[in-house]
Amino acid sequence: MGDGVRKITDYEWEVPVGYAPGMRVPGRFFLSEALRKNLEPGAIQQLANVATMPGIVKYALAMPDIHWGYGFPIGGVAAFDISTGVISPGGVGFDINCGVRLLATPLAGKDLRNQRELVERLFEAVPTGVGAKASLRLSNRELEEMMIAGSRWAVEHGYGVPRDIARCEEQGAMKGADPAGVSQKARQRGFPQSGTLGSGNHFLEIQEVKEIYDPRAASILGVSRGQVTVMIHCGSRGLGHQVCTDHLRNLEAATKKYGIQLPDRQLACAPITSPEGKAYFSGMAAAANYAWANRQVITDMTRKVFAKLYTIPSEEMPLVYDVCHNVAKMEVHRVDGKEVQVCVHRKGATRAFGPGSPDLPAEFASTGQPVIIPGSMGSPSFLLCGTAVAMEKTFGSTCHGAGRVTSRTQAKKAVRGKDIREQLAREGIIVRAPSEASIAEEAPQVYKPSEEVVRVVDAVGISRLVAKLVPLGVIKG
Amino acid sequence: MPYEVLEHTADLKFRVRGRTLPEAFAEAARAVCETVAPNCTPGGITRTIELEAGDTGALLAGFLSELLYLSDAEGLAFCSFAVEIRGTRLSAVCRGEEFSREKHGGGEEIKGISYSGLSLYKEGENYVLEFIADV
Repeated sequence: MGDGVRKITDYEWEVPVGYAPGMRVPGRFFLSEALRKNLEPGAIQQLANVATMPGIVKYALAMPDIHWGYGFPIGGVAAFDISTGVISPGGVGFDINCGVRLLATPLAGKDLRNQRELVERLFEAVPTGVGAKASLRLSNRELEEMMIAGSRWAVEHGYGVPRDIARCEEQGAMKGADPAGVSQKARQRGFPQSGTLGSGNHFLEIQEVKEIYDPRAASILGVSRGQVTVMIHCGSRGLGHQVCTDHLRNLEAATKKYGIQLPDRQLACAPITSPEGKAYFSGMAAAANYAWANRQVITDMTRKVFAKLYTIPSEEMPLVYDVCHNVAKMEVHRVDGKEVQVCVHRKGATRAFGPGSPDLPAEFASTGQPVIIPGSMGSPSFLLCGTAVAMEKTFGSTCHGAGRVTSRTQAKKAVRGKDIREQLAREGIIVRAPSEASIAEEAPQVYKPSEEVVRVVDAVGISRLVAKLVPLGVIKG
Repeated sequence: MPYEVLEHTADLKFRVRGRTLPEAFAEAARAVCETVAPNCTPGGITRTIELEAGDTGALLAGFLSELLYLSDAEGLAFCSFAVEIRGTRLSAVCRGEEFSREKHGGGEEIKGISYSGLSLYKEGENYVLEFIADV
């Protein structure tokens, strides 16, 4: 841990103003003693860098899955005053609206037949890995409509049921999206990739609900012990990556134009109210909506496989919820007793709005927003709910996953994909991936234990545990 | 000179060397393209990249980003690069072939080239470039 970092409570740490030159507010992060040993000094430095950005409100924050990224640390959250603050692609990342959704099924894990065939059929149905092509053929106009309407576009085109829309953060479409902020290059990358999973840590997983911590919330969310669920983790594909690349270049020029001093070029930013800032926001929102449509199309592919194999209609595979991990949003929060309009950046963090938040569907008014935390391949995932404490402490945010502890290069040296696949198969988890190397890179031991990360957010109170989900089969990108 | 993949927890950090700056840029391109689409051999595909940037770091990020775009949007794999640099202008002739899952599959998608951790320095007579790719 870097010099000067102070422990505030058992799980809360402060990076004081002065830790790095130019900090406007302190940094705060949440971590247990067990997770502390994995914290890289580079991640604290990145948190301190965020604290130097104009208009930052209260704290630069990081969740317990904090680790060294680029620009913001991964697990980073920061809110910027809408009139005096900035917006930055470095606080969102290249994979705009990388996110995760959870589907319920009427099946019980113990009765699941043809597990291997199910994994195989899903692997055939969902385009996966580098160079995978989508089955969708979109015109430029359709792509634009998709970028405006997100999940709704996909549902209206037959890739889902109306109820799916309400079960997405932002109802599956951010307002303020404008395809004008999405270049021709980004569109060219978007055409062949809508309805594809991607590679890296993206996956589709068949799971079983192993444990229920909060029966009342679980029942409202529609999950029960022993039930089979499906988790889909992917983002805005090449379209989103290009939107980030394009705007990063524009915002680098804008940083100079507006005389903003930054310790890291990847934090390139512009005032939220400036033409450059607005252009980024509208392009980012369009890419976020593309990602929701993408996850919705993959949902449809998944439901069709279940329908064929187990004769389950779509209505019996409801969407529990869908959350984003990488996004900037305009939100209203209470800060020091006053309501302020802020642009909240979450980079590898999940929104976790508490009970009664107006953005939530009525059925979640008492539970708070469902929060889905994917584990790494082969380790448990968790379902949680947002809380009033998150609204007070973290601008309604929590962690997004386990967070890596081992680099991809080390992982490939230390483990062989084949061994991992066989080991997981012995535990009853079937893994299907385009290559053995991609299995090695995402092996369970390269991540922090997801249990410890969610234990910390539950203990701090920024979200509340509802259920634990264990994998039965994984399709990896 | 072969490129190195350095330790970075979340992403891929590369170190490449060249006797000249254009040679180091060509090696950076090879590192990125081989990660995305391994086993490429120069076939009949040629694409020329021309660009200008404010400084060498931005030029490198711009060049590599352009390669990611071409690979993705046109479904290509690249492996041979002739780079010329004059001041802050770059011109590169990139050769490769059509991407095929059978030949080039199993690679790792690179989402973008970060400005964090970009560095250029000299080691004796050699130019060294370091950069982080988000995967």
